[in-house]
Amino acid sequence: MSVSVNEERNRIVRHGLLELTEHWALALSGLVLLLSGLFELPIAARYKIIAIPGFAWSGDFIPSLVIHYVASVVFIVAAFFHLFYHGLLQDRGLIPQKGDLKASIAVIKTFFGKGEEPPFDKYLPEQRLAYLGMAAIIAVIILTGLVKTYKNVYAPDLSHTLVFWSTWLHNIFFVLFILAFAGHIGAIILKPNRPMVRGIFTGKVRLDYARHRHPLWLSGADAPASPQPVQSIDESAIAETEIIMVDNTLAGESGEPPSSPGADTAGVAKMDKTEAAQGANPELPQEADK
Amino acid sequence: MKTKTDMNRRRFLKSVTAAALIGTAGALNVPRTAEAGEGKLATLIDLTRCNGCVDRAAPACVSVCKKIKTGRLPEPVDPIPLPFPTRKIEDWSKKKEVGNRLTPYNLIFVQKAEMDIGGDKKTLFIPRRCMHCDNPACATLCPFAANHKFENGAVVIDQELCFGGAKCKTLCPWEIPQRQSGIGVYLKVLPTFMGNGVMVKCDLCSDLLKEGKTPVCIEACPQKAMTIGPRKEIFAKAEELTKKIGGYLYGKTENGGTSTLYVSPVPFDRLDNVIRKGPGEPGLGAVKRQMAGTDTMGKAVLAAPAIGIAAGVAGAFAFVSKRKDRIRKES
Repeated sequence: MSVSVNEERNRIVRHGLLELTEHWALALSGLVLLLSGLFELPIAARYKIIAIPGFAWSGDFIPSLVIHYVASVVFIVAAFFHLFYHGLLQDRGLIPQKGDLKASIAVIKTFFGKGEEPPFDKYLPEQRLAYLGMAAIIAVIILTGLVKTYKNVYAPDLSHTLVFWSTWLHNIFFVLFILAFAGHIGAIILKPNRPMVRGIFTGKVRLDYARHRHPLWLSGADAPASPQPVQSIDESAIAETEIIMVDNTLAGESGEPPSSPGADTAGVAKMDKTEAAQGANPELPQEADK
Repeated sequence: MKTKTDMNRRRFLKSVTAAALIGTAGALNVPRTAEAGEGKLATLIDLTRCNGCVDRAAPACVSVCKKIKTGRLPEPVDPIPLPFPTRKIEDWSKKKEVGNRLTPYNLIFVQKAEMDIGGDKKTLFIPRRCMHCDNPACATLCPFAANHKFENGAVVIDQELCFGGAKCKTLCPWEIPQRQSGIGVYLKVLPTFMGNGVMVKCDLCSDLLKEGKTPVCIEACPQKAMTIGPRKEIFAKAEELTKKIGGYLYGKTENGGTSTLYVSPVPFDRLDNVIRKGPGEPGLGAVKRQMAGTDTMGKAVLAAPAIGIAAGVAGAFAFVSKRKDRIRKES
């Protein structure tokens, strides 16, 4: 695994262009689906939403459905692409691991001043659990939505039992999707998580933050199986400084074999700046992310 | 289907006479009863035979439907909760006797069309109720699956599930479903903020169809103006009747096709011009299918999984190939 670091700018690439595209395709189409889905309920005329400038369409169920369909195409293509692309490349960075539930509870406790955060991999344990939960919600919404669409286009007299369950599961998981979305936004509002927000917009996060909170990621100890396509992210900026290749073979501040393969310093094969993999930077304001 | 033609007295009389003869023969050939309660059904309404039961206090189809169906609706709560923020309710419970339009307590009524044909005044009577469309937006877009089109062709609202949001009425080109506020499941949820009663319309007497019986309006018609039977047979009979009387067909293509075919000796656009229209009194004009504009994108949605899978597999393959090339070059 390679991790692109820009020491001068104190940045490390957390997400490649492909991941950012997947995330925002799902997020933006998901928001449109949420809104247009709401307008499939007879609420826009009743609650005068149609009077809001630009929302006159919301009271007409047919345009709302077309908008819902357009967003669905983006959402479904992105979801299936994600599943097959990362599935075939065996990317496991976001797959929950054993002990994630217990670790998540411990991390949540630290938000309330109880205990210390353990060193993290690229993703927090609660991020991995949330990913699984969101994936399950999206899967049900997509499958039931496909049944409903098939019924609309080809088979209005589809089995009532199938239509009934598809409709109600679609509605219930739509509510769960809203709750999960609210939880997702709530998580990034938490102060310790805020440095990650930059990453989902630019692809990069602060290097000192990553060293302090995600040392396992930098060590590559639990890195995803496939490399991230980092080349497409601001290559010129990265090229200006050294690119530190981190892998699982060698370690040591001075290039010597490590005494412990799992230590924070593990995995730095070529090192021009030895502090790159030292774990927490002594100069880092330790409380800044708490 | 013919939409416009010249109409004169001779032609009208010819049509009516022919229809009377053919209708009688047709009534013998086509089962009026839905003996085959299963399979796709359709109804034929022969306007050359309907006389509006002018000799009765109310048309037989109207009075029998009212008798059978009206008693099935529960009494609304008192007072009926006022919905926020419109504060508008629809309460027909104190006007159950109304029979000259569609209401939650009157699921069929007879429209009167008076015309001047070749100098003679002629009157046609048109029984009106749900058309039971082939691809009904009212049912497919119901957000709670409370309205559904069944395999036999009947479009039925489940009154236990309906919240009375009236989306079905908005989507129906004839605005057939009618709302009764103060009844239904919405009262148990958030009656002020969500829902406003129950939508009610003709269900083609689905319970009777399941038993192999005939809808009560068809059974009660003294003129045998209405016929129900296997869809193919009814459609063939309607086409044959239309052709033989030089008449006109309504319901075959309207809203993308329906399970109710009207045969008339007079063009329907002309009938549409003379009948009274308004709330609960639908017109007879040409109607495009409500859902037609959504089909293309709907098909794109159904293709989206295949597109996503193809892109994912191609992307992964390209990535692996690129990595192999890089390793080969490096080595």
